[in-house]
Amino acid sequence: MGKQHTVELTTRDGHVLSFECHEQESLLVGAERNGITLPAICRGGSCGACRARCTDGGYRASEHSMAALPNDAVERGEVLLCSTFPRTPLRIVVDQDRAAIQAGPIPERTATVAEVHPVGGGVVRLALTLEPDDHGNAAATFEPGQYMELSPPGQGFTRAYSPINTPNWEGRLEFYIRLQPQGKFSGWLRQARPGAPVRVRGPSGSFKLDETSLGARWFVAGGTGLAPILSMLRWMGELQAMQPVRLYFGVHDQSQLFALEELEELRSQLPGLKLETCLWHPGEPWQGFIGTPAEALARDLDAALAQGAKPSIYVCGPPGLVDAVEQLVNPLGLGAKLHAERFLPS
Amino acid sequence: MFCYQCEQTYRNADAAGCASARGACGKDESTADLQDLLIHAVKGIGWYAKRARDLGAPDNAAGGFMINALFTTLTNVNFNPARIAALVHEAAKVRDRVKGAYEQAAESQGKPLETPAEPAAFVPAADIDALIAQAQAAAITRGAESVGEDVIGLRALMLYGLKGVAAYAHHARMLGQESAEVYAGIENALDFLASEPTDVGALLTNALALGDLNLKVMELLDAGNTGTFGTPEPTSVRVTPVAGKAILVSGHDMADLAALLEQTAGTGINVYTHGEMLPAHSYPELKKYPHLVGNYGGAWQDQQRDFSEFPGPVLMTSNCIIEPQPSYRQRIFTTGPVGWPGLRHLENHDFSVLIQAARALPGFSADAPEERITIGFGRDAVLGVADTVIGAVKSGAIRHFFLVGGCDGAAPGRNYYTDFVRQTPKDTVVLTLGCAKYRFNREPLGEIGGIPRLLDMGQCNDSYSAIKVAAALAEAFDCELNDLPLSLVLSWFEQKAAAVLLTLLALGIRNIRLGPSLPAFLTPAVLNALVEAFNIQPITTPEADLAAALPNVAA
Repeated sequence: MGKQHTVELTTRDGHVLSFECHEQESLLVGAERNGITLPAICRGGSCGACRARCTDGGYRASEHSMAALPNDAVERGEVLLCSTFPRTPLRIVVDQDRAAIQAGPIPERTATVAEVHPVGGGVVRLALTLEPDDHGNAAATFEPGQYMELSPPGQGFTRAYSPINTPNWEGRLEFYIRLQPQGKFSGWLRQARPGAPVRVRGPSGSFKLDETSLGARWFVAGGTGLAPILSMLRWMGELQAMQPVRLYFGVHDQSQLFALEELEELRSQLPGLKLETCLWHPGEPWQGFIGTPAEALARDLDAALAQGAKPSIYVCGPPGLVDAVEQLVNPLGLGAKLHAERFLPS
Repeated sequence: MFCYQCEQTYRNADAAGCASARGACGKDESTADLQDLLIHAVKGIGWYAKRARDLGAPDNAAGGFMINALFTTLTNVNFNPARIAALVHEAAKVRDRVKGAYEQAAESQGKPLETPAEPAAFVPAADIDALIAQAQAAAITRGAESVGEDVIGLRALMLYGLKGVAAYAHHARMLGQESAEVYAGIENALDFLASEPTDVGALLTNALALGDLNLKVMELLDAGNTGTFGTPEPTSVRVTPVAGKAILVSGHDMADLAALLEQTAGTGINVYTHGEMLPAHSYPELKKYPHLVGNYGGAWQDQQRDFSEFPGPVLMTSNCIIEPQPSYRQRIFTTGPVGWPGLRHLENHDFSVLIQAARALPGFSADAPEERITIGFGRDAVLGVADTVIGAVKSGAIRHFFLVGGCDGAAPGRNYYTDFVRQTPKDTVVLTLGCAKYRFNREPLGEIGGIPRLLDMGQCNDSYSAIKVAAALAEAFDCELNDLPLSLVLSWFEQKAAAVLLTLLALGIRNIRLGPSLPAFLTPAVLNALVEAFNIQPITTPEADLAAALPNVAA
């Protein structure tokens, strides 16, 4: 993206935040890329909400509304963060307190094990209860699709899992974990009792719903890649989302099937949900789709495109599955509508 | 998309209007287009509803639907394209119902069926992409090349005024106040717009008729507010937080606030007002709740900062929502006509999740140093001391009144209003209403013979109260409204303000100063017509506008 410059932001209450900004990105976008989210409304030079003052350095200003930033304000060194592109290192003064800017380290909390419950296929549902943080905040805050890093104290390892439930005020986090014979986390989980402490760092990750998309949403889940997708689907149910929705859920064979009860429950929350369970190598007779969920997707996608529909596609699973879906949708011109997350069993 | 309904619409030297992928308010292209289409569909309902009503088959429920649908298209109300698309389909169903009633009534009375105007025959596409494509035919600028910009601008003035009327009518309806006369007026306006009017004179007349209608609607809303919550009374309101769990209520809907106060009574959770909810503290039936502890933050455009810093959940009850920041996205809830994709929406006054959120979130850990402002100078409070006020005017202790109010916004030019109020001479009184007051409502203006120099009359719709006070003063002084020692200095942002402005013009009020910039939809010719009829003028500088207002005052 070309040259970068250091931008130093001073808040109204005197904190200094600095970030690197490319010449081709606005200060607003550069700050956001670095986890500093500043107040902004129109993001296009019209509203004046992101007005700040440049006290040092050179920049290029893109076209903006005179009402949002009149000439006399420009002469005073005022800028619109959404329309200012750095040419040299910059010093910027913003009119917000530090607390109004979303940024900083990823939250870390302590939780306790509430329940470990087998859900079939060698997978367990681990439920944790978050303790209130230093400010007394007890809520479980994340966006459906994001993940949390879990570290049992004193064990020396950390694993990342996506919650299967939705953000809530009880401080409850639920995960699907496939028990691995030699896995460290699996070993810990087998002996974990209710009340056992766990450190939780998160949320992280950008695998999230595009909330503004209006068209159909098709989800492709491989194994416990179902977890973030289940959270997204449950969230859509809570919001009574109106988009047509499909889920292709695949595992190797019958012995690996899990979460069937939860999926059945999901149907009542999302009455329009079309669910297809795919077995790659069914050991016994199987009435459903035989093959990978990517293959089931391929079968339906042609028909959908022929009718003019362009679904958004969300895929989470092993790298092989994600690659297969990417190779399928990119030539069809749906690459921009693909949201993908790979995971490796650990 | 093309939209120029609010004050912050994009402007450059050549043109005005938001026409890119995203409006200045944050509304995306699909949402903007679908809102145009919803207006189109609602015109279709209006076309049939007027005719059904004329034949003695009115459908007030359709009226309720129409005002809600129009309200969702106001600036900063509903950004959820899926919700707007659903409303378009619902509109077609309501239209079909009203159409059935019209056709049945016409048949039973032996009247021939009229050929429906284009919006009345609208059939929404089932598929979302096709629906968005249909919006092209409903664009606000459609036909500009043949009818000219003045006609487009006047239609826009009417439509935006109508949106404001609808918003106030919706608030009144939430308080149990409906009126067949108001629905009939709304249907007439929609029917007129559905005919794609081109006569400039007729457009102006109809726009002013909406101003008259809006006065009735504000009266209805006033009756709803005072009938439900009592008469506003001067009240000292704490504007700094107290320790404890907390919920912040923003928007304008007093019925939502009342339900929440009822549900949180005895829970230990404190409730704060934000923005235009501030006047709640002056109503006896709302201020009786001890856990309605104060007002927090500033006007709507400060919400990203206010909500980020507020340590509890936020309820957005009507306009004016702007894009929720990540820091509070998970703890802001919408209700009523408001919507944003991915936010939890609460319906039917069920606030249990909101209360649960308040319990889980930290709340304020300590009391902040106490600061207070005084509000609640509605018409009863002011007219209750009318003799003192009239005496003060006659003795010269009060030289002049200024009504400085309306909407606030982010534009830097709005500092004018702060400077203006600061510079008003000490023998003048400032009446204010709407959220523009946050520009100056902590200013220590003092008092004149026991009458505070700054009188906060309430929400923007309490313009009704201001009009009543002005009318009573004119009667006492035996003069016309325009002869009173009163200057109106207004600040506008969205369509409720457009409706109030039309009301003031319909009352024949002259010499209004309007800012921070004039509406982009007023073309030079339309503006000239308004200047000729009403001498309405843009604000200039506080010094010049004060000088212009004061020399003409009769001593």
